[in-house]
Amino acid sequence: MTQHHAPIEDGTTVSITRRRLLQLSAAAGLSAFLAACGTAGTKSPATSASAAAATGTPSATGTPVATGTPGATGVPGASGTPGAETPGATASAEPTPGSTPASSGSFKMATWIGYIDVGTGKDKKSHPSLIRFTKETGVEIDYQESVNDNESFFASQLKGPLQSGLDTGWDIVVLTDWMIIRLAKLGWLETITPGATFPTNLLDVYKTRDWDPGNQFAAPWQSGMTGIAFDQKKTGPLTSLDVFFDQKYAGKMTYLTEMRDTVGLTALKLGSDPATLTQEQFDAAIAAIKQAVSDQLVRQLTGNSYVEDMQGGNVIVAMGWSGDVQGLLVPDQSKDQDFQWALPDQGAMLWTDNMAIPKGAKNKGQAETFINWYYIAKNAAEVEAWVNYVCPVVGADVEITKIDPALGSNTLIFPSAEMQAKLHQFVALDTNQASAWESAFTKAIGQ
Amino acid sequence: MSGILRRHPTAVAYALLAPGLFYLLVFYLIPTVQMFLVSLWTGNLEDGYSLTFNFSIYPDALSQYWGQFVRSVVYGGGATVLTFLLGFPLAYFIAFRGGRYKNLLLFLVIAPFFTSFLLRTLSWKLILSDDGLVLAPLKTLGLVPDDFRILATPVAVIAGITYNFLPFMTLPLYVALEKIPPSLLEAAEDLYASNWQRFRRVTLPLALPGVIAGSLLTFIPAVGDYVNAELLGSPQSQMIGNVIQARFLAVGDYPTGSALSFILMAAILIGVLIYARIVGTEELLGGASA
Repeated sequence: MTQHHAPIEDGTTVSITRRRLLQLSAAAGLSAFLAACGTAGTKSPATSASAAAATGTPSATGTPVATGTPGATGVPGASGTPGAETPGATASAEPTPGSTPASSGSFKMATWIGYIDVGTGKDKKSHPSLIRFTKETGVEIDYQESVNDNESFFASQLKGPLQSGLDTGWDIVVLTDWMIIRLAKLGWLETITPGATFPTNLLDVYKTRDWDPGNQFAAPWQSGMTGIAFDQKKTGPLTSLDVFFDQKYAGKMTYLTEMRDTVGLTALKLGSDPATLTQEQFDAAIAAIKQAVSDQLVRQLTGNSYVEDMQGGNVIVAMGWSGDVQGLLVPDQSKDQDFQWALPDQGAMLWTDNMAIPKGAKNKGQAETFINWYYIAKNAAEVEAWVNYVCPVVGADVEITKIDPALGSNTLIFPSAEMQAKLHQFVALDTNQASAWESAFTKAIGQ
Repeated sequence: MSGILRRHPTAVAYALLAPGLFYLLVFYLIPTVQMFLVSLWTGNLEDGYSLTFNFSIYPDALSQYWGQFVRSVVYGGGATVLTFLLGFPLAYFIAFRGGRYKNLLLFLVIAPFFTSFLLRTLSWKLILSDDGLVLAPLKTLGLVPDDFRILATPVAVIAGITYNFLPFMTLPLYVALEKIPPSLLEAAEDLYASNWQRFRRVTLPLALPGVIAGSLLTFIPAVGDYVNAELLGSPQSQMIGNVIQARFLAVGDYPTGSALSFILMAAILIGVLIYARIVGTEELLGGASA
């Protein structure tokens, strides 16, 4: 695979995906992000401290605060522990012995940018939750934000070694459903040994994924919903997917370059279930998309750059991701904009990035220790208070209120039962079919 | 040692060429051959690929994506003409009227390069946006209809390419114009040439190497560009670069992606040869070696 240096390099620099935006705006938009995260940033010391005081749970103490200052080196072990920390540590250390044997050693994890909490103040490089993980379990984590794109991570990091039966060097990789399916079908994943909390603490909606019976291969890290993002000031309330085919918004509308999102929503609009999409139903959806493109209803197909286009007023209706719209939900009176994200009547798409263990990983035990640690509600909540996508862990909605009460009732992070009933996953495709469908989709959108 | 070098001057030349040749061999020639072989593969990621010398992929790819090929040449060619129309007066002014500000003016031409290509293109999005700097005043004055837009049209794509490649045209033109001895221009005047004749018969022919170098430097990357089409274009204005990117990264169809890259490369090469033949290889080579 040496033939395409340029395309891959250019591709990863340029094609803007949901995560790329986070990356681009990480520096500039940090303050906005903090604000959007509901005081998770600068105010979190005060909030969590008072929450701890009020509820009398020492374990909920703002670990971010304590480790924020002393752990400036980012070395997990080096974060001088104030005495107040100890109760928390002992309290949540109990699942470890029961679940998995590993209580020492280290492991290496590859994931996306913006998927973990970040220390406050000078300590922006450290991750308080991970420091606490090491303290509680004795396992060191080498956390790398090296996944930019499923396909290029697969091509550059996994395909070569796994094809030759070698260890990839990664013990946990965080990849999207369809890539996990591909890896599982190739036999390139280890099964995750059930532990004290995983898969027990996994929300029910994830327990019925037909491609992963018994949750052997994939432990969800974060999910997101794909629905209607719109400027309510211009459109009024919207709840139907019909809007994406409405002449009224011609040229003011974007779809997503992710085939599974755009085709999924179109299929829902046409009355098909994306989870069991047949070739005929797929063809019908592609025909509808093609028509919308040639009628010039669709202005562009985007990664998450639709967010800026909406802010700039170029786009008023978009296929959008719940996590992206979080930051836009406060009405901007001066610009006369009021952004909303709606779960359509016909249903919405649910996608998930999952932790998985590549075949032959040297530190499988440590990786499983981490997975089970993450599936303790309190730990997932700490991560979630920063990340703000959909949390897959049971009880995190209760735990998160100790960090910020408002977050617990945020249905974009913790979808209600009736919202969950409307969420659909995209049918599992084998490699050939996936490639054929991607091909049909890219042709429909002019590529 | 120095004796050997003196006795074999060609050996010195080859020794000096070696690093460059080696670089081209490893990073250009080998990947090109590899890409050509990939284009003749059949198979898929799951079952693996095998080299089947499937040459029919070339006519197939060409007929499927003919529209995007033509569009790329039109956009790239249009942008090259525009950069010339903008760049020539600019280079002329700097070369002949720049005076002591020459270096400053040249610096200003290059200055945008201090910002990344991507950011420059994204900022065009802001400038051209539907209610942005350009269109908001025009809409307020009622000069254009409310639903008029530039973004997500071919105009935006060509404008973006033109802007991004302007220095590639301006600098070679400047170098060529700057070299023209003032005495030749004076001689033309002494021989009763009008301003237009002087420009047409003296300045322009002497600037030709710069025109050729500039137009090649602009046209070749412009045809293969996909950033401008992706950020500023619509589904109706996707270029061949976008198709190649989608084939590699979205579809995982390496053979077609490679075949398209190869066709693009060959088409540009043939185009350049024809261009050089028409305009004259002497100027091309003369411009390069001078």
